[in-house]
Amino acid sequence: MQLYPLKLVTVVGESVIMEDIAEEGVRLGATGYTMTEVNGHGSRSARNVASTTGARTMKVEFVVPGDVAVAILTHISHQYFDDYAVIAWLSDVQVVRGQQYVK
Amino acid sequence: MACMNLVALSLLAVFNAEQASRILESLERNLLTPIPLCFVLGIICTRIHGGIKIPKELYYSIAIFLLMSIGFMGGHELAHEYEAHGLSTIWKPALATLFLGCLTPISSYLVLRYVGGLSIADSAGIAAHYGSTSAVTYAVANSFVEQTQHPANSFLPTLVTILECPGIAIALVIGAALSARERAAKAAASGRPAKESKLGEALYEVITGQSIMLMAGLLAIGFVSTMFMDPKGFQPFYEFFQSKGMLFRGVLCIFLLEMGLVAGEKLGDLVKVGPFLVAFGILMPLAHGFLAAYLGHLAGLNLGGCTVFAAIVSSASYIAAPPAVRLTLPEANPTLSITAALAITFPFNIAFGIPIYYEMAKWVGAQ
Repeated sequence: MQLYPLKLVTVVGESVIMEDIAEEGVRLGATGYTMTEVNGHGSRSARNVASTTGARTMKVEFVVPGDVAVAILTHISHQYFDDYAVIAWLSDVQVVRGQQYVK
Repeated sequence: MACMNLVALSLLAVFNAEQASRILESLERNLLTPIPLCFVLGIICTRIHGGIKIPKELYYSIAIFLLMSIGFMGGHELAHEYEAHGLSTIWKPALATLFLGCLTPISSYLVLRYVGGLSIADSAGIAAHYGSTSAVTYAVANSFVEQTQHPANSFLPTLVTILECPGIAIALVIGAALSARERAAKAAASGRPAKESKLGEALYEVITGQSIMLMAGLLAIGFVSTMFMDPKGFQPFYEFFQSKGMLFRGVLCIFLLEMGLVAGEKLGDLVKVGPFLVAFGILMPLAHGFLAAYLGHLAGLNLGGCTVFAAIVSSASYIAAPPAVRLTLPEANPTLSITAALAITFPFNIAFGIPIYYEMAKWVGAQ
């Protein structure tokens, strides 16, 4: 079976910005994303402002080529890191049907 | 008990003995009913690490039901009012609502910025919460005046809908305009391009958010179906949604229980926000409430109407405002605004504010 080396960009942060991040990732070259609701606690859990306000923690994942991964991480760090509770990381992944993830 | 004595003393300082005793009586009548008591139970449970847990989905479902019910009954009563008097009784209160919806964010901003010395973003963020309204405070105030046999004018839900948007919009525009300069300077200093403003997106989300869509939508549906539907066919919908009904009052208790659980958690943050914001969260609603009771009376609202009107004008939003503020003014600290709205003003209004507004409404001459 042929496996393709690609990058997995994972972003975890407050729900209010996560849809924007997902769309911006697609604009920067990702062919799609997966979003899930997660739970956790971090150094900036100020956004955990109670369920009544609809605030949640979400995770967005993109499988992308290296250059797109760098573009997404650069954009997120510039646009959101100062003011929002959000973290992002990069991992190497081996993907089946890898051509689907390249625009 | 000590708390009641404290309230009694502070009331005596402002009102004469007879008025103070009347207010205390209203307070007792309000406090010893299931809705505020469920709220208190929630707070106690959180503080002693008790086991009550309201599933998130149930909370969201109840919020949907309450908003639909408020809108639907508002539309139904509005249709009756419209058939009986046309627009003659409604336009003045609607205008007063719009005026107060624009005034309260500005007065809140000025007090927070210049008396409290908070930053532009924090002042505007908190002002956005206080400029908007809390539909649950409306529901509780409405239950209170129905219990006192002075039901509010039928079109109050329309006013809740009108009040929801302008306050948030005005405060966010003030905050975004004033902090844009700061942001540009910061961007120039760091050599990076300025961040995109999300004001437009945030305002769109407020206007098309769940509260407005459900309340305004059901208001239209209630209005149209009352006008055109056979009363017999309408009856089941009326019974399902009616605010005097057991369903509405029952789920309101569950909702307040959850609010109590959340407020209990936020009580710990009171220390962080400091005495100024605690005082603001109590005194600002009283000032806005008094103004609303007075203007409501001038606009022709009855005693119950003035009370509920004062409660909605003085209340702070904790559903529509937080995400809008988070998007537009990300540098504002959400702990401040949420704690003020949820752990100070909301409990104050539920326990003490509503009976006080009732007495204020009486005092300005509403009947």
